[in-house]
Amino acid sequence: MKKMVTGSVSRMVMALALVLGGGWASAASAEEIDTIAIMAPEMGTDMGWNQQGVDAARAAAAAAGLEVIVAENLGYGDVRPVLRELIEDGADLVIGHAAGFNTAALEIGEEMGVPIAIADMPEKLSKGKVADYTGTGSDGAWLAGRLAAKMTRTGIVGIVVSGEPPSWNNMSVAFAEGVRAENPAIEVRYAVIGPAAYSDAAGGKRVAETVIASGADIIFGQGNGSSFGMLQAVETTPATDGGKAWFIDVIGDKSSIDKGHLLSSVVWDLTPIYSAMIADLQAGNYGTRNYDISLADDSLRLLKTDHIPADVWAELEALKADIVAGKITIAPKYDAASVHALVRAVE
Amino acid sequence: MLSETFLITLFLGAVMAGMPLLLAGLGEQLSERAGVLNIGLEGMMLAGAWAGFVAAWASGSAGLGFLAGAGAGLVVAAFMALFCVIMALNQIVVGIALVLAVQGLTALLHFVQFSQSYPRLDGMQAWAVPGLSQIPLLGPMLFSHNPVVWLGLALTAAMAFLYRQTNLGIALQAAGDRPAALDALGGNVTRLRVLTVLTTGALAGLGGAFMSVAVAGVFVPFMSHGNGFIAIVLAMLARGRPLWVLGGAFLFGASLSMTTALQVVGVNVPVDVIQMLPFAMVMLVLVLAGRKANLPAALGESFERGAR
Repeated sequence: MKKMVTGSVSRMVMALALVLGGGWASAASAEEIDTIAIMAPEMGTDMGWNQQGVDAARAAAAAAGLEVIVAENLGYGDVRPVLRELIEDGADLVIGHAAGFNTAALEIGEEMGVPIAIADMPEKLSKGKVADYTGTGSDGAWLAGRLAAKMTRTGIVGIVVSGEPPSWNNMSVAFAEGVRAENPAIEVRYAVIGPAAYSDAAGGKRVAETVIASGADIIFGQGNGSSFGMLQAVETTPATDGGKAWFIDVIGDKSSIDKGHLLSSVVWDLTPIYSAMIADLQAGNYGTRNYDISLADDSLRLLKTDHIPADVWAELEALKADIVAGKITIAPKYDAASVHALVRAVE
Repeated sequence: MLSETFLITLFLGAVMAGMPLLLAGLGEQLSERAGVLNIGLEGMMLAGAWAGFVAAWASGSAGLGFLAGAGAGLVVAAFMALFCVIMALNQIVVGIALVLAVQGLTALLHFVQFSQSYPRLDGMQAWAVPGLSQIPLLGPMLFSHNPVVWLGLALTAAMAFLYRQTNLGIALQAAGDRPAALDALGGNVTRLRVLTVLTTGALAGLGGAFMSVAVAGVFVPFMSHGNGFIAIVLAMLARGRPLWVLGGAFLFGASLSMTTALQVVGVNVPVDVIQMLPFAMVMLVLVLAGRKANLPAALGESFERGAR
């Protein structure tokens, strides 16, 4: 009888919680969370956005003793069936690791009552339901801009992107501002490969070659799969002064495949973000804050390579310390108009 | 900024972007002329890109890469021929299925083979026309290209000759317009359609291999990036004329290069508007030239001997 009463009370409490929470697991407790899932548009082996996400989800889940379901290579189409399947398979948190997944993730999360993590829509923060992890890699990109300005021989640097999602716009702006902060006379040239050209390696190479031919000797490239085309361009195309062209990558670390042209990368480590999400979910606080990467905890860092002279690196370390100490602040700007205005500005 | 190097790079960029479209478009035109709508073109290009890269990387020979790419496209096309021509299944459904299957398969193969190493090929040497290629500015633009570029131009001329001057060209047209009439005259519609689909696959595969071997120097999943579908549109707009495929392909490539140039020189127009340029150009051509488009009467229809 007691068990029956307890069970009835439990059901009533659960029903009440569901009603109050609108069907969402807003008061999730530690024992209720055993699995997280991540959805990536491309393979988690791209040495970039997808790999950083998948690797971080695995690391965060392992640290918390959770299972992780990885759904990768999903493309940019309708992911609603995948979302439903992941939730039916037991995911207590679904990380939609592409801005293109946001609409479907928000819709299916609402429908099935499972918390969702999204990128590039911080305004969708909702207690127990949705949190955003739009990375403001601007501090790292600003340092990359300072590095490029210190290293350029031609006085021209280029930015090549395969799309204009907010987080990339933010890093493009910060890179250009970093260049200007180091030397206002340096010209920044900007080109977008095409609309959502994330896997267009041929386009990445073609556009990067054109920017190099226009005089740039350093390419700051943001492009997922297309960034391999950009890397190929700097490897096979000399700068207009006859010297070596350099590549500065973002998010991932391609140093293991470098042929001598990878100057640096603005590396994102998303593990602290996903770990914080899990902790908040377990504490019942999920959806009360958004998440970000930071130079302070090395979740955001500039990749050190052998191609960067020691004195230049020391100067960059000093600048990093100033940013962490709050002496230098780089305001995030996520809109494409800010990028276009900055790269067209003539000092 | 508008140095000779910059202008040459822009022009060569247009050629390199247009060439995969030309090869795939010529192939699609051939298929359509015989009555087969080859929606699987994107998959054939992607298979060619993967196989071409693997062969070129393993052998160190770009030529073998191009051959392997053509072969891989042909293999995918064999499924198209089997399902659509011989088994008479729906051409659109089978085409889409082939694209999805190849996308998944090549992504998986890439994951197994290259996801830790991402090998890249060295740049290819161009074939230059002696003397003419030394002319300042115009020489490198017009007379120094990858061998496949010369092949693509030769194929365009050969296709034009085939369609206009040969009995085979007439038979192809009959297979697309009046397959029953061709059959009644003793022609083998099925065999003709199978051969055209296989040739289409080889050309699309070569176009894909060109992307991975000659242009990008690397293979990444989904790298055909919709070129197969654009080639289908070009083939339809060209109304059976290979020279129009050539013009359309290079118009699209030139628009892509112009898009980059406008951005690099900092033209004060929203990037989104600039990026519409290649697609707007194709749509403009569609409006101006496509109104009288006259596709084969039996395009997309399966042929069963004796069926009414």
